[in-house]
Amino acid sequence: MLMPVPDQSVIDKRDSICAKLKTLVPADCVVHSPESMRAFDADALSAYRQLPLAVVLPETVEQIAELMKWCKAAGIKVVPRGAGTSLSGGALPLADAVLLGLGKFNRILEVDYDNRCVVAQPGVTNLAITHAVQAAGFYYAPDPSSQIACSVGGNVAENSGGVHCLKYGLTTNNLLGIEMVTMDGEILRLGGKHLDAGDYDLMGVMTGSEGLLGVVSEVTLRILQKPATQRALLVGFDDTGSAGKAVGDVIAAGIIPAGMEMMDGLAINAAEDFANAGYPRSAAALIIVELDGPEVEVNVLIERVEAIMLAAGASSVKISNSEEERNLFWAGRKSAFPAVGRISPDYLCMDGTIPRRRLPDMMVRMSSLSQKYGLRVANVFHAGDGNLHPLILFDANQPGELKRAEDFGADILRSCVEMGGVLTGEHGVGVEKRDLMDIQFTEEDLKQQQRLKCAFDSDHLLNPGKVFPQLHRCAELGRLHVHKGKMPYPDIPRF
Amino acid sequence: MTLVTVSNLDEVREVVNDAMADRRQVEILASGSKRALGRRCSYDLTMDLSAMTGIIDYQPEELVITLRAGTPMLEVGAALAQARQMLAFEVPDYSHLFDTSGSGTIGGVVATNLSGPRRLTVGAARDYLLGFEAISGRGEAFKSGGRVMKNVTGYDLSKLMTGSFGTLAVMDEITLKTLPSPETSCSLIVEAVDFAAAVSKISGLFATPHEPSSAAILPASLAKEAGLQESSGNDSCVIVVRLEGIPISIGNRLDNLQRLAGGYSLEAPASEALWAKIRDVKLFATPVHDVWKISCAPTDAPSLVKKIEHNHEINYFADWAGGLIWMTSDSNNLGHDLRAALATLSGGFALLVRDSGTTRHTIPPFQPLADPLLALHKRVKAAFDPLAILNAGRMHEGI
Repeated sequence: MLMPVPDQSVIDKRDSICAKLKTLVPADCVVHSPESMRAFDADALSAYRQLPLAVVLPETVEQIAELMKWCKAAGIKVVPRGAGTSLSGGALPLADAVLLGLGKFNRILEVDYDNRCVVAQPGVTNLAITHAVQAAGFYYAPDPSSQIACSVGGNVAENSGGVHCLKYGLTTNNLLGIEMVTMDGEILRLGGKHLDAGDYDLMGVMTGSEGLLGVVSEVTLRILQKPATQRALLVGFDDTGSAGKAVGDVIAAGIIPAGMEMMDGLAINAAEDFANAGYPRSAAALIIVELDGPEVEVNVLIERVEAIMLAAGASSVKISNSEEERNLFWAGRKSAFPAVGRISPDYLCMDGTIPRRRLPDMMVRMSSLSQKYGLRVANVFHAGDGNLHPLILFDANQPGELKRAEDFGADILRSCVEMGGVLTGEHGVGVEKRDLMDIQFTEEDLKQQQRLKCAFDSDHLLNPGKVFPQLHRCAELGRLHVHKGKMPYPDIPRF
Repeated sequence: MTLVTVSNLDEVREVVNDAMADRRQVEILASGSKRALGRRCSYDLTMDLSAMTGIIDYQPEELVITLRAGTPMLEVGAALAQARQMLAFEVPDYSHLFDTSGSGTIGGVVATNLSGPRRLTVGAARDYLLGFEAISGRGEAFKSGGRVMKNVTGYDLSKLMTGSFGTLAVMDEITLKTLPSPETSCSLIVEAVDFAAAVSKISGLFATPHEPSSAAILPASLAKEAGLQESSGNDSCVIVVRLEGIPISIGNRLDNLQRLAGGYSLEAPASEALWAKIRDVKLFATPVHDVWKISCAPTDAPSLVKKIEHNHEINYFADWAGGLIWMTSDSNNLGHDLRAALATLSGGFALLVRDSGTTRHTIPPFQPLADPLLALHKRVKAAFDPLAILNAGRMHEGI
């Protein structure tokens, strides 16, 4: 992965830049010794590491604004970072960029039960929102698997999902308002406790923009009342095709489960070894369906789902009859990644989405790719929404295996797009999938996205080298091609 | 004014390219059902998308539908109903307010980001647009999003396009997420001594696991006109809370909520008819005056209404648990006072929906944007439509 060539002239001025930074924020908010910056040299895509120019940990939004203003004027790049749990390298530092850490923004500012929302600083963890409101029966719905550590500001930047987004949506569907700071150092408030502001939905476009458009300095999140009952089914199938079809049958019957997960044979056995969850070891595919809502409703829907699964050819069905049992069903799924980590020295986690009906085709494709590359793959899916998490097993100590695993992964993502899907369902593009963007998008698609970037950050100073395989200067992107010889900007003739 | 009918995006691109060369401004139109929304501008050319119709792909078990922009909502609704599905955000029909007929096209629905009562719990049109293809104001084809439910690849331009009133690009091949329709529904009708009590009562009902899907508040006079039980006091209000789902669940939740709040219930047919009236703003009999749509924090709504009632003779009702207020009045300066009042509360906006005369010449229909947000809006507009060709000025001056 090639990152933009660092600007040596910036690196040469590192001492004076650090001195200046200490005038913009309290001196102890600037971290610049190589040893102490080590903690910030990577996010959860830890194959990529880089020490930043300096780390700044501001304490107020005004400090962020001052910092951004100065960096803009001085032409210094900025990489924002929440908790550093990105799986795609979204917070990977650059040698010539200030790493802007939001870790000190860790307070919940307001819990407003009457309007069913929480106002929080961006460094608060995802799970802390639920902890703050659960005594009153509320919770925050998006539940990325890193929820114990990931920050809500990072959730906005990545538009994080989770196992329950089939029914409850991603971050973007649960976000009411943000305060953000632009690269120009302007503090903007978008949305709030009201709905649908009636302007351009800039909050919507900030969500999932991977830190390229602005720095989130406050969030207003929608909270929901916890469902009265949650029950789950654990369903085994002897072939993945029938399992894939069963998932579609549930939805076609008008049932939207809170979550619907699927695992293949390798993942089932790894998880079972790890968690002893009672998974059917001989099954080719396992589906976990969770239903939530009023008890009478869940009890009826559980029966309906069971009937659908049996009709689709399920080889085993277990239904949870207690919270303990439900948690046990999930224990295997939730530990799938570490469980796979036990059976292989290393693994790569992919994140494409496909139309659900293509699942059987995808399984066939994956097993032929697995043979081609000589690497095993364990599959964990958010089956309800077609989001795949193939885990490619490899050993980084074997020469060439990492490269082979990466090529395998790229082929899987290519297949996703070919089958009508997309490169990333929830982990983001970051640096990891940056160079694959042209599989899904035309040059014109990408240029239009970058024009939007230019509206927010005309000098490409904010998190450059992420998401887009090629950086075009804003002046170049803004050029117009007008035909009929009447061009107001006669750069390149159109015809 | 010239009218050009286009039947696909290639033709759209040609029209845009010509308009760029000639510096002509283009109005984008399909059925015209929402033409009265926004600022009134004059255009050199009207591009008619109403020939761009049809469902390109609909996979009910995938919860995904892809449509041509000009597909009439009637056709969309019929196709979805056949598979017992819906656009969960509930597309409203404002023809009653605009003295027009027809419920518009899917392109118009997306362009205006209009959502109905269920918006409160399931999200707006912007939450259901998964992807699209389009021609920008630069005369270039681009796409964003996809045809799958879960996707974070690249910027979420679907959000930006929804509610942009055609000022950024001309969309086609619109992909939306669908959801199964509820098997049945009912409403709980509860009285409250005043608007503030109503909002607070609704907050109480939402702090239970009984899952109301929408909640409206009708002042006594409107409740009476709607055929609901007559309220007792002058300031009294009627709360309408909707429950949706499978019958056994609704029965159970209704019992539980009724135990908490009292009141009586409306069965499915009467309940559905009432919610259609709320959604389409038909609770205002025949609007002759201006109609404003105000969005604010639900708990701000009572004090906002009180402030306004102090100086204006108004008729109003609320949806979205109080967070959406529909207000009508022949009083001057209502818009100014609404926006001033909102500024003293925790924020929100007031949109002029129906202009019965020349109100929009004296006050912008869209709430004005403060700098630097306005400047950012202008840069975003320029990123897609640098010569301000598409629906220019429809939202704000130059935007």
